[in-house]
Amino acid sequence: MNILLETPHGTRDFLPQEAAAKRVIENRLAKLFSEFGYEEVVTPTMEFLETLRISGGVESDLFKMFDQNNRTLALHHEMTTPIARLAVSRLKDSPLPLKLSYNTSVFRFRKNQMGRQCEFYQAGVELLGVSNAFADAEIIALAAQSLKVSGLKDFTICLGQVEFANGLMEENNLSPNVQAEIKNAIEHHNIVELQKIVDALNLDKVAADSLKQIPKLHGGLEILETARNLAKNKKSLAAIDNLAEIYKLAEIYGVADKIIFDLGIIRDFEYYTGMVFEAYAPNVGYSLAGGGRYDNMLKDFGMACPATGFALGIERILQACEMQNISNAVQTRDIYISYDEKIFDAAIKKACELRNEGKVVEISLTPQTEDDAKKSQIEKNYTELIYLK
Amino acid sequence: MEEITIALPKGKLFGLSTELLKKVGWTAEGLHEKSRKLVISNEETKLNFIITKTADVPTYVEYGAADIGIIGKDVILESGKDVYELLDLGFGKCHLMMAVPKDKKRPRLEDYAHTRVATKFPHIAEKFFVSRGMQMEYIKLNGSIELGPIVGLSESIVDIVETGTTLRENNLEEIIHIMDATARLIANRVSYRLKFDRINNLVNELEKFL
Repeated sequence: MNILLETPHGTRDFLPQEAAAKRVIENRLAKLFSEFGYEEVVTPTMEFLETLRISGGVESDLFKMFDQNNRTLALHHEMTTPIARLAVSRLKDSPLPLKLSYNTSVFRFRKNQMGRQCEFYQAGVELLGVSNAFADAEIIALAAQSLKVSGLKDFTICLGQVEFANGLMEENNLSPNVQAEIKNAIEHHNIVELQKIVDALNLDKVAADSLKQIPKLHGGLEILETARNLAKNKKSLAAIDNLAEIYKLAEIYGVADKIIFDLGIIRDFEYYTGMVFEAYAPNVGYSLAGGGRYDNMLKDFGMACPATGFALGIERILQACEMQNISNAVQTRDIYISYDEKIFDAAIKKACELRNEGKVVEISLTPQTEDDAKKSQIEKNYTELIYLK
Repeated sequence: MEEITIALPKGKLFGLSTELLKKVGWTAEGLHEKSRKLVISNEETKLNFIITKTADVPTYVEYGAADIGIIGKDVILESGKDVYELLDLGFGKCHLMMAVPKDKKRPRLEDYAHTRVATKFPHIAEKFFVSRGMQMEYIKLNGSIELGPIVGLSESIVDIVETGTTLRENNLEEIIHIMDATARLIANRVSYRLKFDRINNLVNELEKFL
């Protein structure tokens, strides 16, 4: 194939219908975010590599290049880090909490990414400056609401708390290395591996069973009680209280029916410090959205500040909509105007008039016969034809 | 009750898997390896079985086209797929090793650096050799790996061994053990959550038979 016609690996075009479906969702999300008081920000597509590394950006996943001074730049691979940088540098005197939103493409170089390309689209919010269940509940309510306005009817938010597992591990005085191994096994639900690691620790049976149970703590409110009975330490118990509190608030928001607790969700454990969640839809094998509390990241930029937020994967939401037979593309084509040779001026005036009324109007760029005009109207899918003669 | 789709691999794990699943009532009429049907369903228990090539099982599960699957640990590792590993089923025991022609054995593993190795498992092999600080030339074959050194395609092989008969018949000798493998029950990350009760029950039931 002619190389001039190819796009680079991991990139794609959105054809008019696809772009329209994407735009509809993005517009609804932008409106929703602003209704919740979140203000949109735009950051550069590229940042210094060092900046993106702060959140544990894996170097081999980043698209990198050099600037004129040979400093390494990278395309942003998510938006939490650029927004943290922005908040610490440019908005440090703004009154807290800061509520910011974004909608942009992000870049990750991976050969094998399910349901997305190397360049993919994310919309999301960050809430900076408050560390309580109220803030977390707002984030979860907003995430649920985001999926609803995207048109999805069937979805589930699985809610976890990383401090539960952390508390259990500290309770047993596990070394940082072992803790990392265990978290890795929990995150990937490698239960075979988890059992092997725990068995090798020679803990008493109760403690060992508690650790092995973590990935299976999945269900409704009753699971919080099960979890409470597994832990004796303050940290784990506080994590459970935190989830119960978030849930109570989510009930008031009217989104509690979408929430299932899952203490096996810990996501990127280097980064999250409290509640974490992922959203799923049936028949889509990967998460549509994810987020959580990350109270330590801004400290690395020089300003200790608690934070929470989430990101939605636009392509994945589009795919889930398709799976649920939800069509968001409301591309209306109202009127096609065509005209006989001499009255192009009337045609232009008519078009302007109708467009002012908010109609979608296409005007023929050359005079046509009435038969040809009819043909064009049908070909181009316009509801109505106005033919001036 | 939610419908569950199970991916099973063709080959020696197939019979062992269906036998075990049958013990806990997870089966369907006409579930044979040679079935011409692509999807074999049990309407009553809402189960769908799909039979795929061994290496494809993790792919079906990773994408959620199958909710769960049964497959060897070696295949999971080689595929690099992000799937949940719920249970070690214990059967299908084998190990991955490196072997060379008996008469061309070199004193140390490092003496094979930069030589050619024929294998069905280039990713696991590379990971292993890199951990030993060795660079190798990997030649991906899809079967009859032991032919490699015989016809001069490679100096060594990295392959799965159960009994060692094939090695002996071809005058090959194992020089280093790389990993052990058994069959695993795997699940898609979303299915595991959205169909938790059924999948978790299955795990609990299966555990009784292991």
